[in-house]
Amino acid sequence: MNFNDWQEQQEITQFLHHEARLLDEHRWDEWQRLFTPDGLYWVPLVHGQTDHLNHASLFCEDALLRSMRARRLEQARAYSQQPPTRTVHVLGNISLESRSETGVVVRSTFLLLEWRKTEQRSFGGSVLHTLQREGRGFRIQMKRVDLINCDAAHEALQVFM
Amino acid sequence: MTTTTIDLQALVQPDRVHKRVYTDPAIFELEMDRVFGQAWLYVGHKSQVPNVGDYFTTRLGRESVVMVRHTDGEVNVLYNRCPHKGAKIVPDGSGSAGKFLRCLYHGWTFKCDGSLLSVPLRSGYEDTALDLKSPAYSVRKVARVASHRGFVFASLSEDGPELSEFLGGVATSLDNFCDRAPEGEVEVAGGVQRVIQRNNWKIFFENLHDTIHAVATHESSWRAAKEEYEAMPAGTPKPFEVVIVDGNGEPLEFWANLELKGYDHGHGFMEGIFVPPTDPVSLAYVASLEASQGAQRADEILRVNRHNTIVYPSCSPHTSFQQIRVIRPLSVDRTLVEIFSFRLKGAPEATFQRTLKYTNIVNSPSSNVMPDDLEAYNRVQEGLASDGGDWVSMHRAAGRDQPLPGGRASNGNSEMPARNMFRTWAAYMGVQAGGAE
Repeated sequence: MNFNDWQEQQEITQFLHHEARLLDEHRWDEWQRLFTPDGLYWVPLVHGQTDHLNHASLFCEDALLRSMRARRLEQARAYSQQPPTRTVHVLGNISLESRSETGVVVRSTFLLLEWRKTEQRSFGGSVLHTLQREGRGFRIQMKRVDLINCDAAHEALQVFM
Repeated sequence: MTTTTIDLQALVQPDRVHKRVYTDPAIFELEMDRVFGQAWLYVGHKSQVPNVGDYFTTRLGRESVVMVRHTDGEVNVLYNRCPHKGAKIVPDGSGSAGKFLRCLYHGWTFKCDGSLLSVPLRSGYEDTALDLKSPAYSVRKVARVASHRGFVFASLSEDGPELSEFLGGVATSLDNFCDRAPEGEVEVAGGVQRVIQRNNWKIFFENLHDTIHAVATHESSWRAAKEEYEAMPAGTPKPFEVVIVDGNGEPLEFWANLELKGYDHGHGFMEGIFVPPTDPVSLAYVASLEASQGAQRADEILRVNRHNTIVYPSCSPHTSFQQIRVIRPLSVDRTLVEIFSFRLKGAPEATFQRTLKYTNIVNSPSSNVMPDDLEAYNRVQEGLASDGGDWVSMHRAAGRDQPLPGGRASNGNSEMPARNMFRTWAAYMGVQAGGAE
């Protein structure tokens, strides 16, 4: 599916870039405010996973759990954040999956570098953002991150991807 | 590798151990031979291989093995090695092999009990020293396989106690794991999560019943959970997501009062830290259990409220949230933990969804609780490598255990479980840890 025009493409692209930047700069509160009240942040555990209720996930977080994670990351005694995790997201291949009266579903691909303590890790995959139109902007109803190595054994995954 | 220079006897005392037991690669290799080569190890659950030809691969100590269902219904555990050239016959993971196992390399085929079915160019072996009827040309079975309520264990050694004797007092945890299902059975479901730890496997095991680390190590998560709840309108029922995280913030006196049991062979269990909740999901589950078992029996089952159980040295069931964490040592300072979730057969769907919520929040790689554990384990591993000292203490409440049949009980704050595991470890390794306390 094509974008209506350059303007729509710009709005969506800028939104995704802004969202990634909030994560990379640890601006958790602003990031959480991007979601609709019932919005879900989901990282499936297996390829092609269709269900987050009857199958385990890598992350499956509603507003309450996103808030708890954000609070934990900022605790003075979050020992596993001494030093904190540093990330950089690189987005690409932003394309429109579908459009409805209320919003759009956008697919993008990403590379994520994570640095903590002594180790650099890399993650990559695709993201489906289900976005609701809100005035000139968007709210996230679902952010689904499909890692190419979702089914690998992982060390702790502490920050939002 | 020459390991005869290690004086194991000098490394284990009743109330302290030398740092080398966690850091020396040669000792790790000896453990693979003597601990993991002798003990009954958890392989998997029969529900993972429901049909003929279904297989599940895993590691027992250093060995790659495959659990596979045979045409006679039996679940076999085979070394995943073709007797021809040595290739792993089935790929890592799980799946269905069909009616027989077929090696990718030259097409030798085997029945699901490992016995040789056919070889290409059979005539080529006539009048040679290779006897196709010899057991050497079937896939080798592990020495012993036994199961308890569907939980399959294997021993790489022909000798040793029977599984029932080995499990002793923790068989009740596996029983309760299944008894909590209205149909009395459980099944693996919902996927497996895997976590890599940068620490020796024993550090993880010791932490399972270390009740006094929680309030310190987990401050970031229990405080975040408490803050989350305080931000909710007054009178809000405490959400399940908060309950299972803020419990770690209980004061030390709370943990002291928990029942803690240690059994022969290094096993043990700890009393549940959560009062069974009374929300609609829990009540519907209790009703389903009462409907099938009767109110009195259901009450008996649910009274057995346990947090982590230790089945040394391979797994840790959590009976009230239907999890089994399987511990696979990879090297002296790397450990793989696999988290399996189970469905209680006959329970409402919402009960299983809660099981998955628990695993996502507490046990998964993205857990908010576990990273601080992993950080602690890793700092222990790194600290032990230094020359700042040689010994690791297990003194707390030493000498105060109460004897039980086949084991011992202690105050919830005691380091009895660690001492109990090391007494067992020493026995496997062929030395004495200083005898009874």
